[in-house]
Amino acid sequence: MERISDPCIRIGFLVNPIAGMGGRVALKGTDGQFAEAVRRGATPVSTNRATTALRPIRDLPLFFLTCSGEMGENALRESGIKDYRIICQCPSRSSAEDTRRACHDFMNEGVSLILFCGGDGTARDVFSVVEDHIPILGIPSGVKMYSAVFGVNPVACAEIVTHLNEAVLRDSEVVDVDEEAYRRGMLATRIFGFARVPVLPLKTQVGKQIFDEPDEELAKKAIALFFSEILRDDTLYILGAGTTTAEIASNLGIEKTLLGIDVIKGKVLLARDADERTLLSFLSHGEKAKIVVSPLGAQGFIFGRGTQTVSPVVLNQVGVENVIVVATPHKLAETRMLYVDTGDEALDRAFGDSVLVISGYRMGQRKRILHPTTSNQGGPKH
Amino acid sequence: MKTKILLDEGEMPRQWYNILPDLPTPLDPPLHPATRKPVTPDDLHAIFPMELIRQEMSPMRHIPIPEEVVEILRLWRPSPLYRAFRLEKALKTPARIYYKYEGVSPPGSHKPNTAVAQAYYNMKEGIERIATETGAGQWGSALAFATCHFDLDCTIYMVRSSYAQKPYRKIMMQVWGAECFPSPSTRTNAGKAILEKHPDTSGSLGIAISEAVEDAATHKNTNYSLGSVLNHVCLHQTVVGQEAKEQLAKEEVYPDVVVGCVGGGSNFAGISFPFAGDKLKGKHKDVDLVAVEPAACPSLTKGVYTYDYGDVAGLTPLLKMYTLGHDFIPPAIHAGGLRYHGASPLVSRLVHDGVMRAVAYHQNEVFEAAQLFARTDGIIIAPETAHALKGTIDEALKCRESGEEKVILFNNSGHGNFDLSAYDAYLQGKLEDYEYPADLIRESLAHLPKGP
Repeated sequence: MERISDPCIRIGFLVNPIAGMGGRVALKGTDGQFAEAVRRGATPVSTNRATTALRPIRDLPLFFLTCSGEMGENALRESGIKDYRIICQCPSRSSAEDTRRACHDFMNEGVSLILFCGGDGTARDVFSVVEDHIPILGIPSGVKMYSAVFGVNPVACAEIVTHLNEAVLRDSEVVDVDEEAYRRGMLATRIFGFARVPVLPLKTQVGKQIFDEPDEELAKKAIALFFSEILRDDTLYILGAGTTTAEIASNLGIEKTLLGIDVIKGKVLLARDADERTLLSFLSHGEKAKIVVSPLGAQGFIFGRGTQTVSPVVLNQVGVENVIVVATPHKLAETRMLYVDTGDEALDRAFGDSVLVISGYRMGQRKRILHPTTSNQGGPKH
Repeated sequence: MKTKILLDEGEMPRQWYNILPDLPTPLDPPLHPATRKPVTPDDLHAIFPMELIRQEMSPMRHIPIPEEVVEILRLWRPSPLYRAFRLEKALKTPARIYYKYEGVSPPGSHKPNTAVAQAYYNMKEGIERIATETGAGQWGSALAFATCHFDLDCTIYMVRSSYAQKPYRKIMMQVWGAECFPSPSTRTNAGKAILEKHPDTSGSLGIAISEAVEDAATHKNTNYSLGSVLNHVCLHQTVVGQEAKEQLAKEEVYPDVVVGCVGGGSNFAGISFPFAGDKLKGKHKDVDLVAVEPAACPSLTKGVYTYDYGDVAGLTPLLKMYTLGHDFIPPAIHAGGLRYHGASPLVSRLVHDGVMRAVAYHQNEVFEAAQLFARTDGIIIAPETAHALKGTIDEALKCRESGEEKVILFNNSGHGNFDLSAYDAYLQGKLEDYEYPADLIRESLAHLPKGP
């Protein structure tokens, strides 16, 4: 298991000062909406959130590299942290470009972790620079936090930083939400990429005879091994995005795209990064097909409106009964319910109230499904 | 209207009920793992006393319980039969719910019913020590209790994770004078081999069985003992059902439904076989016998009825039973006693023939039932037992729908006083609903060993 084991930990720290401002004035995100948020009376919240996360760790032997003023320096100072150096001067009205510039500087300084305070937009900006080269951890302060890179709350982030040498690095989704669509009450998401995120291993539930598999990579291999046993040569498999489906393909000797939808049959790759039309052309011959997907994002989407390739048309053709959901026990432990919102209500209902998720070798877990019709709001509940 | 229906000590059954002769055709015999021919008594004598081997294959319908065994069983038997008035009221059901409470035994479960008998027969044949395995320790503590009454030494290989994480059962075993080792241990070749390869392993029941069997096979003064699955174990448990039948007769009722949980199957066999015998003989054709198992390890509801090994390593005789495959490792559900890939050949056969039926439940709904029972009737039951309770509640709710005043009997096989961490996990919403993906697995079960 990969971990952060640097004895002198240097952390790149930044705050998106406007993150979360739109929430209380019903703007559902502040991308390009700062002036409107201020006009509606919004006040900055992220520095306070950051300070809450920093206070418990102020006496730890950490060294912070940060940005000037509201983009980091203020929160560090207010939380009583003295060991920091400003490496990036930022204007008072900061932008996504400032976030990206700071991340470039953090990378050049060789930090062990980037701790940022913001929402999905900030996560996307940070990830666009550092990709999977440096672990990142988000202090949640945004309006939308569908990405799986955030701590549950600021205090949980402090706990992860405190126990960084025990934390395990996990591939976690950075989700790109279409803010324009979101403001219209539609949740259209797509996976932007997979960041490396430190997580404290689950306090493993001790059964009477065995422990749960503590290593997520081994859990993925167990799922892949099971899949190789149930694979049928006469069936077309549409593999969704994610690291678990990638492991399934890898175990069959196939290199799969991480973010795309790939098609395999008889252990042969038929299409990489397939679009809806490609999928429908494969299905037009009436072949037996199964869709293999992993819940994505912090909310555990099985199918969101952003999964446009596996559209309602594709799903109806394959049949809901031929959808195989796979996920590691770790992912499932953090995702109490799964979410289906294809945009086609009848199709959503066809999934029923629960789904069996394959979570290991010859083992699954029954998980509840939340439909948009059972929720009072446009997005999924936590 | 009585809450507790009690028998005098003199009313305790003096014979075990053997269902074998009441089967319409003989039970398929266990097969030798090497020759695939039916095992002979000599094959088994290396690790079992002759009397237990005789009982395993006996054609006699009734087998006397030795006086020395009765004397010890009398410490808690006859166990009480309760009427669960408060549960009935909470469920608003016209059904009458009775339960046989086996948690009154010193080790807190039904397990000593067979442990005492097994220890006795080993003592009679000059055996000085018994080796066994235990997962969480319910069986190990029952055997420790039993052996101390016959001055036998007892060696228990306890799965290492439980040894470290659930110390109270281990302490009980030690109080009763047994020695308890975390498995894998350095005492056996099987244990050493595993430790060499995986020094940090948390162990498994399969490994512990291998260690205990090796210990027994390599020491002349030592035998092996198994706490479930086998015919003689089911036989010894029939005191439960026989007593229950007497107690219900005092209430002038006969059950419409009999419910028990199934791991290996002995506790369900114990409560149900005396009633299954009536059904087979045509005396009570309609009695509904319901085996309840976990959805995470559903051998009776989702397994295949075929010959398979009794252990993970494939060292034991092949048994004809419902199985999920001997290499299936069930997930870490809290009902550890139900984590077995197969089921008793007798229970399997009766389910296969339609004399009994089986249902499966998820962990959370089972604990929900257990919490309700704790609040209505007071007893915090073992997670295994809670499966039987859940099956009972569902039958009682059906009666609410239909208006039927059925008599439902379930085996309350043990208390859960050492399982409070499981209740804690339930209360905190941390229990996962594991489920065996039967549809996907069906075609991958082709690797089971072929029968004769």
